Amino acid sequence: MTIDRTEVDGKVVLRVAGRMDAENAVLFERECESCLTDGVRALVIDLTDLKYVSSMGLRSFVMIGQKLKEKGGDFRICCLTGLVRQVFEITRLNQVLPLHDSLESALVGG
Amino acid sequence: MPDTPKTLTLIAKPASLGSVTEFVRMGAREAELPDLHIRQLELLIEEIFINISRYSYPENSPGSVTISYAVPKAGELHVEVGDQGIEFDPLSAPAPDLTLSLEERPVGGLGIYLLKTLAGSLSYRREQGWNRLRFGISAES
Repeated sequence: MTIDRTEVDGKVVLRVAGRMDAENAVLFERECESCLTDGVRALVIDLTDLKYVSSMGLRSFVMIGQKLKEKGGDFRICCLTGLVRQVFEITRLNQVLPLHDSLESALVGG
Repeated sequence: MPDTPKTLTLIAKPASLGSVTEFVRMGAREAELPDLHIRQLELLIEEIFINISRYSYPENSPGSVTISYAVPKAGELHVEVGDQGIEFDPLSAPAPDLTLSLEERPVGGLGIYLLKTLAGSLSYRREQGWNRLRFGISAES
């Protein structure tokens, strides 16, 4: 798994690629935590190139979403495909985390 | 097509996940499963294996896991996972409440639900000290 961090219009975009599983989900969590520590309150996760996520990865999304909400921040996720989209739908995380079809739409407003 | 089950036995520890995944991928290739089904298979085996390696055996005393697969016909893969840890039937685990808001949601507890939802067939039996969990994945589902 690789995570690229960029800033667009005052929002931090983390582009996560590869596979997020029980072994490395914690790395994603740490990267998000470090954004929160840096005072970031608008976080966009771009999953265009994420091919796989297991329940340990979903756990990280829930945890970060909760932390950001607690701080009054804005957490958005975009560009889910294949299995990743399927597991967000099965677990109904698509109902509680804001999902966007494109990075452009995830960057609008907020 | 050969239908002799292939078997892998290894110590139940999270660090072995890569070897386990690679093993079932061989089965997926044999069964000629499409990409999405291969990823589903990887997810199922991860949820099962990580669960066993975390909870089945006493901490500091990991036991073994035996995984076998068979390809009854093209497009179909059967996998059985056996361990001799504490008795645990994932089919009896209560379903998570998916209607809760983000704030109310427990962070974990989705693995078994994914397993039950994505497996084409799923069965458990306790047999002479073994937990035996079987699941199937079919290109047609």
